[in-house]
Amino acid sequence: MRAVLRLPLIVLLSGIGAAAMLVPAAVALAVEDFATARPFFYGAILFLTLTALVGLATARYQPQNGARSHLLALVATFTVLPIMLAVPFAEAVPNTRFLNAYFEMVSSLTTTGATIFEATRLPLAIHIWRALVGWMGGFLIWITAFAILAPMTLGGFEVTSAQEAGTGAMRRDVRDDIDPTARLLRYTVRLFPVYLGLTVILWFLLVLAGDPPAIAAIHGMSTIATSGITSLPRFAESPGGSGGELLIFFFFIFALTRRSFLGGFSAPMWGVLASDRELRLAALLILGLPLILFLRHFFGAFDVDETHDSQALPALWGAIFTVASFLTTTGFESQYWSTARDWSGLGTPGLLLAGMAVMGGGVATTAGGVKLLRVYALYKHGLREMDRLVHPSSVGGQGQMARRMRREGASIAWVFFMIFALSIAVVMTGLAAAGLGFEDAVILSVSALSTTGPVALIAGGEPISYAALPDAAKLIIAAAMVLGRLETLAIIALLNPDFWRS
Amino acid sequence: MKVIICGAGQVGWQIARHLSGERNDVTVVDSNPDLVRRATESLDVQGLTGFASYPDVLEAAGAADAEMIIAATYSDEVNMVVCQIAHSVFGVPRKIARLRALSYLNAIYSDLYRRDHLPIDVVISPEREVAEAALQRLSAPATFDTESFLEDRVRLMGIVLDENCPVLATPLRQLSDLFSTLRTIVVGVRREGVLFAPEPGDQLFANDQIYLVTPTEDINRTLEVFGKISKKQNRIIIIGGGNVGLAVAKRLEQRTDRVRVKMIERDRATAERAADALERTIVLNGDGLDMELLTEANIERADAVLTVTDDDKVNLLAAVRAKSAGSAMTIALLNDPSLVPLLGPLDIDAYINPRATTVSSILRHVRHGRVRGVYSLGDAEAEVIEAQVLSTMPMAGKEIRDIDFPEGVLVGSVARGDKILKPTGGLRVLEGDVLVIFSLAADVPEVERLFQVSIDFF
Repeated sequence: MRAVLRLPLIVLLSGIGAAAMLVPAAVALAVEDFATARPFFYGAILFLTLTALVGLATARYQPQNGARSHLLALVATFTVLPIMLAVPFAEAVPNTRFLNAYFEMVSSLTTTGATIFEATRLPLAIHIWRALVGWMGGFLIWITAFAILAPMTLGGFEVTSAQEAGTGAMRRDVRDDIDPTARLLRYTVRLFPVYLGLTVILWFLLVLAGDPPAIAAIHGMSTIATSGITSLPRFAESPGGSGGELLIFFFFIFALTRRSFLGGFSAPMWGVLASDRELRLAALLILGLPLILFLRHFFGAFDVDETHDSQALPALWGAIFTVASFLTTTGFESQYWSTARDWSGLGTPGLLLAGMAVMGGGVATTAGGVKLLRVYALYKHGLREMDRLVHPSSVGGQGQMARRMRREGASIAWVFFMIFALSIAVVMTGLAAAGLGFEDAVILSVSALSTTGPVALIAGGEPISYAALPDAAKLIIAAAMVLGRLETLAIIALLNPDFWRS
Repeated sequence: MKVIICGAGQVGWQIARHLSGERNDVTVVDSNPDLVRRATESLDVQGLTGFASYPDVLEAAGAADAEMIIAATYSDEVNMVVCQIAHSVFGVPRKIARLRALSYLNAIYSDLYRRDHLPIDVVISPEREVAEAALQRLSAPATFDTESFLEDRVRLMGIVLDENCPVLATPLRQLSDLFSTLRTIVVGVRREGVLFAPEPGDQLFANDQIYLVTPTEDINRTLEVFGKISKKQNRIIIIGGGNVGLAVAKRLEQRTDRVRVKMIERDRATAERAADALERTIVLNGDGLDMELLTEANIERADAVLTVTDDDKVNLLAAVRAKSAGSAMTIALLNDPSLVPLLGPLDIDAYINPRATTVSSILRHVRHGRVRGVYSLGDAEAEVIEAQVLSTMPMAGKEIRDIDFPEGVLVGSVARGDKILKPTGGLRVLEGDVLVIFSLAADVPEVERLFQVSIDFF
C-alpha cells in the first residue's frame, strides 16, 4: 500500500479513473444495457493493467521538486487523463467521433458540464459516467487546493497570504518541511468522507423529494462538484420539483466557502460561517440581485396587467435559485427561471448569470470563476480608495490581515482579474477565428473559463449548441476549461523560470 | 510613614515631592543615578541607585519596615515584580503599582491583583486617568480644569472670568443670597498668579481664575451665572494616537451622541494600531502641525482639538495652530507644569497634566483616615480633598462655623446619603457625611489631622 502511494500522482489518478469505469459498467449491467456495460468493463481492465505496468516502471520515481511535479501532474490530469476516460465513452456512444468524447470528458472533469450530446441520446450509464467524472474532478480540486495550491500560495490563497504568489513552496526552508504527497494523502483522508458523505446525504434527500434514484445520484454529484451535469434535457424538468431545488440550494454553501466543509461533520460553527467574508458576499449577491430583478418589475413594468401577481413568489425563488446556482458555477436552472424571466416582461437577464459565473464561488471549493475572495478584496480596496478620496492620508483599520488584503491582496486579485479578462479576450479571439459570431464567442469563453457549461444555454437570447461548433472551437473551449479550472496563475507559475531551477 | 518609591521619573518625583512635603520618610529607588541625585538634591528624601526589583536593593531601601511601596518605574513588569517581592519577602502592607498596558487593566483580569495572586492593592494607569481627565475637559468646554468627586455627583471646575461675567465686583456673600437655590461654592481664586481661599466679603474681578465646587446637575446653571455658555461638541480632532489619544477616542466612540472624531498620528505603525482598535474614528497619518493635514481633518469646523502627543512643545504648537485655523476650543496635554503659564498668551483653553492626574490618584491612596479623593490644583498650590466624617472625629456633630479649619481651607460640598447639601455656617456635620474640602497646600497637614480618627477608634 505504501509503495502504491509513492507512485507519481498522475499514475495514481489514472488508476483511480480506470477503476471508476467499473461503476458505469455495473449500472449498465443492472439495467441490462450490455452494449454500454461492455466497453466500460473492458476499459477498466485494459487501463488498470496499463496503469499497473506504468506503476511498476515508475515505482522508484523520485521527483526533484515535489510541488512542481504535482502541479505538472495536475495539468496533465486535466489534459491527458480525459483521453483515457473518453475511450469507453467513445466506444459506448454510437456514431460519434473521439474528439467529441474527449471534449465531453474534459468538460466533465473540469466540472464545467458543457455537453455536446442531447440528453435523450445517451444511455443512463453514460450519464452516470459523466457525473462521476465530474464528481471526481471536483474532489481533485478540493484536495489539490489545500495540498498543492495552498502551500504555493496559488488558487486564491495568494490574496490573504504574506508570500508572493506561486513562490511559497519554492523557498528552500519551507519546501523541505512540506511533502506534497503527504499533504495530499492527509487531506484526502480528511476530506473524502466529507465529500462522499455530503453527496450521499444529498442523494438520499433528493430521492425523498421525489427524484428517481439515478437522477438523484447524478444531481447530487453534480451539485457537490458544481459540474451541473444532468441526465435530463434541462435541470428544470427534474421530478423533484421545488423541494429538490430547495435541498440543492442549501448544498450550494459548500461551493461558496471552504469553511463549510473543512470542519468535517463536527458541529458547524455558525459564528465562523456567519463572519465568513466569502459567504457574506455570496449572500448579498444571492439575495440582492434577485431582489433587484424582482423590484424591477414594479418600477419598469407597472403598466403590465395585474394577472401575473400570483407568480410573484415563484419568480423570486426562481431568480434566487438560479443566481445561486450560477454563482457557484454549477449552472442549474430553476424550473421557475422562465417565470422569473417572463414575469416582468422586461426581457432576459441571462447575461447577468454569466456575470455571476465569472464572479465564481469560494476559494478552494469546487467552484470556478474569479472567486469571491478576490472579488471581496477588490471591493474592499475600492471602498478604501473612496475613503481616501475624502481623507487622502487616512489609515485603514480592521487589522493587519485586512490591510494586507486591501493592498497586496487586492493588487494580486486585480492581476488575476485582468489575466482572467485577457483570457476571455484571447479565447474569444480564438473562437472568432474558428468561425463563431461575436456574441456566441463571448458567452462560450465565459462559460468555459468560469467552468459553467450551462451559461451557453441560458445567457444569450438563443441557446448555443456545443454540438454545432467546429472542431477547432471545441479544442479551444476544452483548453479554456482547463485554464479556467486550474486558474491562470497556476499555469503562469509553471512558466516561471525560477520554478524550474532546482 | 515610611514609603519607598521605585522609579524617580516624572511621576515618582512628583509623588516624592508631595509625600516628603508631608513629613514622610521617603526613599527613592532608581537605576539611573542622575534621577536619584536630582530627587535627593531637590527634595527631602533618601536615594538609592539600583534595580528596584532586586530583593537586595529593596532591602537596602528599608523595605523590611516600610509601610508602603509605590512602584512607578517605566516598565509594567518591573512594577509587578516589585510589588510581588515587597509582599512575599518583606511583607509590605500597602503596594501601589502603575501599569500602563491596557491588557493588564482589563476588568476581566482584575482578579489577578488579589493578595494570593499578584498582590497589588492599587493599580494606577496614567493613560486611563489622563483619558478620563481629557473627557472631563471636553464635557465642560468653558472650564480650564475639572475633576469629579463623590462618584461624579459633585464637580470641581476652574473657570476664567472675563469682562462679560455678570457677577463681577459683587461680594460672594451677596451672590449666595442672590442665587439661594444654587449649591455652588467658590472655593479658590487665583488673582495675579496667587491662589487663595476667598472670604465671604471678597469680590470677583475680570481675569480671575476661580475654582468652583458644584453638584453635577447645577453645572449648566452655574456656568450661566458666570457668563459661560456650554455648547455641544460634535466634531473633535485628536492629535496624537498613542495610548492617551486612543483611550479618549474609544471613550468618545462609546458615547451615545454620535460625536465625529478624527485622529492625527504621525507614526504609521501607531496610526494603524489606532485604526484597528477604533471603528468610526477616522485616523489620519501625518504630522499634526501640517496645515494641509489639519485642513483634511476639517479643522475650521472642529468644535474641539485635543493635542495629546508625547511632546509638550508639539502639543502647544499644534493647539495654537488649530486655534488659529478656526477650532473653537483647544486642549493640550502638558507634562511640564512650568509651561502652564504659557496657556494664556497662547490662547489655549485647557490643559491636562498627566502627572497631576496620576499623582492625584496615587495620593488618594496614601492619605490617612477616611480620605477618598484628592486632586491637586495647579502646580501643587492647593488640593481638593474628599473625606468622610466618622463618629470619633472631633468635628462630628459640630456646625461648620465651629470647626477649627485653618484659614486656607473651605468646605465645598457636603454629601449626606443621596443628597448634596450646600455648606453654610450653620450646617451641622454628622457622622457619615462626606465633605469636599479645598485646602491650600500649606494647610493640608492640618486638614489631615482633622480627619484623623481619635485613638479610641481602635
